[in-house]
Amino acid sequence: MNRFARKLALPLCVALLVGAGCGKDNKKSDAKSSQGATKADIKVGAIFDLSGPTADIGTPYSEGIRDYVDYRNTSGGVDGHKLAMSYSDFKYDPTTAGQLYGQYVSEGAKVFMGWGTADTEALRPRVTSDKVPFMSASNAETLTDPSVTPYNFFPGASYSQQMRIILQYIADKNKDKPVEVAVFHNDSPFGTSPLEDGKKYIADKKLKITFKSYAMPKGATDYVAQIGQAKAAKYIIVQNVPSPAAVLATNLATAKSTAQLVCLNYCANEIFVKKAGAAAEKMIGVVPFAPPVPGGSGLEEINTFLKTKNTDAVAKGQGYVQGWYTMAVMSEGIKNALAAGGDLTGEAVKAGLEKITDFKTGVSDPISFSSTFHAGLLSAPLYQVEGGVFKKIQDPIKVEK
Amino acid sequence: MATATGVFHTTYRKDLALRHTRAEYVRLGLLAAVLVWVPFNLNPYWLGYANLILLAAIAAVGLNILTGYTGLISLATAGFLGVGAYTAANLTVYYHWPMPLAVLSATVLAAAIGAFFGLPALRLKGLYLAISTFAAQEILSDRFRDWKWLTRGHGTIVTSYPTLGGHHFKSKFEWYWILLVITGLVVFAAINLFRTGLGRSFIAIRDQDIAAEVMGVPVGRYKVLAFSIACGLAGFAGALQAFYPDGQTVTWENYEIAKSFIFVAMIIVGGLGSISGAVYGAMFLTWVPAYITRIGQTLQKSSFHFLIEKLSAVQLALFGFVLVVFLLVEPRGLARLWQRVKEYFRIWPFRY
Repeated sequence: MNRFARKLALPLCVALLVGAGCGKDNKKSDAKSSQGATKADIKVGAIFDLSGPTADIGTPYSEGIRDYVDYRNTSGGVDGHKLAMSYSDFKYDPTTAGQLYGQYVSEGAKVFMGWGTADTEALRPRVTSDKVPFMSASNAETLTDPSVTPYNFFPGASYSQQMRIILQYIADKNKDKPVEVAVFHNDSPFGTSPLEDGKKYIADKKLKITFKSYAMPKGATDYVAQIGQAKAAKYIIVQNVPSPAAVLATNLATAKSTAQLVCLNYCANEIFVKKAGAAAEKMIGVVPFAPPVPGGSGLEEINTFLKTKNTDAVAKGQGYVQGWYTMAVMSEGIKNALAAGGDLTGEAVKAGLEKITDFKTGVSDPISFSSTFHAGLLSAPLYQVEGGVFKKIQDPIKVEK
Repeated sequence: MATATGVFHTTYRKDLALRHTRAEYVRLGLLAAVLVWVPFNLNPYWLGYANLILLAAIAAVGLNILTGYTGLISLATAGFLGVGAYTAANLTVYYHWPMPLAVLSATVLAAAIGAFFGLPALRLKGLYLAISTFAAQEILSDRFRDWKWLTRGHGTIVTSYPTLGGHHFKSKFEWYWILLVITGLVVFAAINLFRTGLGRSFIAIRDQDIAAEVMGVPVGRYKVLAFSIACGLAGFAGALQAFYPDGQTVTWENYEIAKSFIFVAMIIVGGLGSISGAVYGAMFLTWVPAYITRIGQTLQKSSFHFLIEKLSAVQLALFGFVLVVFLLVEPRGLARLWQRVKEYFRIWPFRY
């Protein structure tokens, strides 16, 4: 009997699993839109990295976006329309990103919130042909030119721009003395994105800076070898996510390096400070969206919302605030599109986003887009870690390209 | 080979047939009916995954020929998907070749490079060979990243939809039929391969390569040939995927070592040394993560909000757990599981 039961259990298990999979295909999402006299929901698709290689910063960013949607919906929505967001974890895998993008757009998503360079690059051609305004956390300068990528937007300053800002700062600080700068970067398009533009800026402005770049190999447990090569550098600029940047900072501390550590925006946050500990001291961050500090400007809305959850913006961190304001900017674009009248199409939202001028966030300079430039900021302030917290050391610097 | 009681092979023709009993034909008919039913009844989400399964099955079948039938481990499947994708995309986008010709050339190039990286198999076996193919994978993904000329400095290549007489193939529905025919042909060819002398030689090499050599099998040449078949099929799948509507951007992030392991998992879960097993494995490893993602999406619309935060971590754990359970229940994979189900019903209600 035992053996009989076991034999029968196998096919039953298979049948159950298969059956369960096929039964779940109901399309619930359309049901909501016809509630009484309320206006139709605006569908938003989103993909986040919640369990992949960039999940450390991807998770708070996604919380910021999701919470903004909740906040906006409870306070009346966008011009009376509720935002209906569907999202999934794509594990930083471009194939999954393509699959999910296709699903959400076919389910009627009007706009799309992406995440990193991998998915944004992979989806670029489809976003253009589908005419879906796409806002991501990838700040690659290649996405800012509407003649090439008409539907890609990001609210921050591009990586290249952040690089120019810090190079200008270094040049000004050192007056006319020649200085060597080493850039440690993630070994991917995300990491290499600002290198060429940085070199070009030095050549164009005739700065007395020697610029050398070092790749931080994926999965490396230390960067001692690269630090050895970069001994002459007075400044070490890091373009990477917090975890490897923290390892680098620790290595530098162990090697008793006197170089000044600088982080571009994806490692200049509290995750880095927590992971690097004492080694994070004196790090300078180029942060288009300032890290939240108690009583800081631009956090009032967020704190009111988070009060119900017994937490605040400072606890949630910089990624959260950036996610919040990214969604706020997208909502502003939708609002402009609705105000212009007519159908809410991708083209309308694109025009609505391009209309945004001097959108105030409080955590950054005012954000503007135009029909010729799709990055929200050209400037960024500098912050420095002192006693484990970020202190502003420089008002936003704006440089010419 | 006896297949069922009372079925005798009275002619050579009958002896060579792939199917012998009426039940087998009925099952084939049912399968065909399901395959025709699928595209008309699945929503775009699942139809997309059906297409990904068909694409994965091509490469998995190739890998099973190499690993399951010839006994040579390869951890470089993703690298060869990349060789196929980069070649086909380069030829169509920068040299304006027609898509079928580009895919064909990509397959040939992947097979040639595969033969080169298969050379260590002449001296190495088992885990040592696994390490050398691991090196091949790393070399390939490193080149995809660093050779700027592959993408003309853009980092990615964007392909366009294949066209035929002014018609653009851009719907998943059309692709399903194209991929179904192609994958069907690959599976049919692979099944028949093991009815030929070449296929039998592969099996002989797997079971005992010294004995195979004594019997007159050119072991070295056939090992390299097995590599080039497997890598060629991987390249073929990669080249097709480069034009597939959901993945029209060729980027190196798609061809990393993690993906190679997925393909190894496919043939182990499906069943080593079984062509149908490779297809089952491709179904299982594509479908289960998609299904778990779907659960996550469904939960967003329900009241289980607190679960969603944890789900992304749980997804991976759940996936691993399902894999372990399946391998515990049947170490020889889904193909063997299916055989046991058939055997059970054949003699039901008797035990044996």
